[in-house]
Amino acid sequence: MLRAGALVVVGGAAVPLTGCDLFDRGDDKPPPPDPLEPLAAEAAELAARHRAAIAADPALADPLTPIADAHQAHADELRRVIGRPLPSGASSGTPSGDADPADPLPGLREAERAGRDNAAKACATAPAERAALLGSIAAARATHLEVLK
Amino acid sequence: MIPRTAPAGPAEALAAALTAEYAAIWAYGVIGVRLAEAARTAARAAEAAHRSRRDALILQLSSGGGQVPADRAGYALPYPVTDRASALKLAVEVEERTAGFWRAALPHTTGTDRNRALAALTDCALRATRWRRTAGVTPLTVPFPGRPV
Repeated sequence: MLRAGALVVVGGAAVPLTGCDLFDRGDDKPPPPDPLEPLAAEAAELAARHRAAIAADPALADPLTPIADAHQAHADELRRVIGRPLPSGASSGTPSGDADPADPLPGLREAERAGRDNAAKACATAPAERAALLGSIAAARATHLEVLK
Repeated sequence: MIPRTAPAGPAEALAAALTAEYAAIWAYGVIGVRLAEAARTAARAAEAAHRSRRDALILQLSSGGGQVPADRAGYALPYPVTDRASALKLAVEVEERTAGFWRAALPHTTGTDRNRALAALTDCALRATRWRRTAGVTPLTVPFPGRPV
């Protein structure tokens, strides 16, 4: 009888534990970050840098607005492909580093060049379903560099 | 003008890119005679770049034992090319169209082949941007080069 009673107690304790696994997702470890997270953050930052340059010098609006919009479209599309909201604490596109207000173009060129190389690298190793999007982003950044020449 | 149906595999994707390169080479014959000076030189350079992609594709497809599609004797123009403006318009469209075929090859390729397809996509996008600049068309860039619209 004692053994049977002990079994009941153990069984009773096991049920809430199972319930915890099933329903309390808060105890799970977060999934590993998507490999496209850095590229999505970079796209948002590039959009913000171009917008900051336009704000500092409205004469740059004509050439830079389509580029800023393209980066924003890339960020949105990458976010959609990643399929998760922006990780908490992540920057939502605040420019990092101070752009030279006198001439922001050399800094933007350097950022586009680095961005193009990062997107090309991501495209090279991406699964098939992401390759076309990443290829378009790499090619777009190369054309931005051409515009900023 | 950009491929509407996705290719079934790597050989089909590269064969489709080859047909696009044939058409681009043919189109530049029509385009070049309507241009002068720097623009004509740029058209010659663009045609040479497409010829070199064509040759590389023929080599690649034939060494893989796959079907190598033949060139056609001529192609239908989307509109009459009678002057500089229509020649530059066609040049932009030819590059965007060819970019679309290379973009479509990205999901079907890996490693060196994918890098080659990305380089071709990027070159097409860059030439499209330069032709827009020559034509005085803005914006100079599109957000997703080669993406079907």
